[in-house]
Amino acid sequence: MPGERSPIPLKIVVAGGFGVGKTTLVRALSEIPPLLTEETMTNASVGVDDTRAVPDKRTTTVAMDFGRITVDDALILYLFGTPGQDRFWFMWDELARGSVGGVVLVDLRRIDDCFPAVDYFENRRMPFVVAVNGFPGADGVARETVRDALALSPDTPVIRMDARSMDSCLATLVALVEHAMERSAVMN
Amino acid sequence: MVPVFAVTGGRTRSAGLDLPVESMVSATDRWAGDLQKEYRVIMDLAARPVALVEVGAELSIPVGVARVLVSDLAEAGYLVVHAPPPSTADGSPTPEILHRLLEGLRAR
Repeated sequence: MPGERSPIPLKIVVAGGFGVGKTTLVRALSEIPPLLTEETMTNASVGVDDTRAVPDKRTTTVAMDFGRITVDDALILYLFGTPGQDRFWFMWDELARGSVGGVVLVDLRRIDDCFPAVDYFENRRMPFVVAVNGFPGADGVARETVRDALALSPDTPVIRMDARSMDSCLATLVALVEHAMERSAVMN
Repeated sequence: MVPVFAVTGGRTRSAGLDLPVESMVSATDRWAGDLQKEYRVIMDLAARPVALVEVGAELSIPVGVARVLVSDLAEAGYLVVHAPPPSTADGSPTPEILHRLLEGLRAR
């Protein structure tokens, strides 16, 4: 169509342990009902996937949810909730490549669950923010305590948020984009 | 599931395009009425720009399978693949694009 601007897709990866609120966050922000998609894992992942329990299994599929935010007349932001299990790292690589960065959701009652996500983003030098989801008991914990527990670098933002609130989720994304811009300014 | 895998001939990798999950495609003017059903469903979705991952979700097929079908259609001239966002040397979005994203999110 003449005059129509070419769409520009961007993506943000939403990571964290199982049941921490990734789907809730995507649902709070997405203008479409969060959709589930699947990726097929084939023999290429042998050695990665632990198939001991099902020795005859050759392929498996993994579901991930995603949402969409139309940012302006051309910019479209996709949010991808990562599969929780470690064996789906191959999916993370595809989601992370070219992304704006990551949101690591944390449940303070199970803080260890987010270590793999923090490690992943740190190892790849990707910008990320740690978002402490407002589960009961989260109020009294200082952000510095979270920073220490996760051994975060001083420049990694730690945000307290509520994944059920659209405003809170938006503020989390804004914090990530600001952080990504700062990182980008430092590196160039 | 079966018809789509039949369409791809069992391929889960396209010989052609290695499209990221967020790549966007749009239908061209080329008449697609004689295509197989799965392809036509994709053409309908692509009446407006649509991402590869959305095609997968709408058709309830894995992204890898959607990638094969979309690549077929692009190579045959039914779909146009939109350029990826401008990126820096390490593949991340440029500061200009990030600034635009920030402005857009703040305005919501």
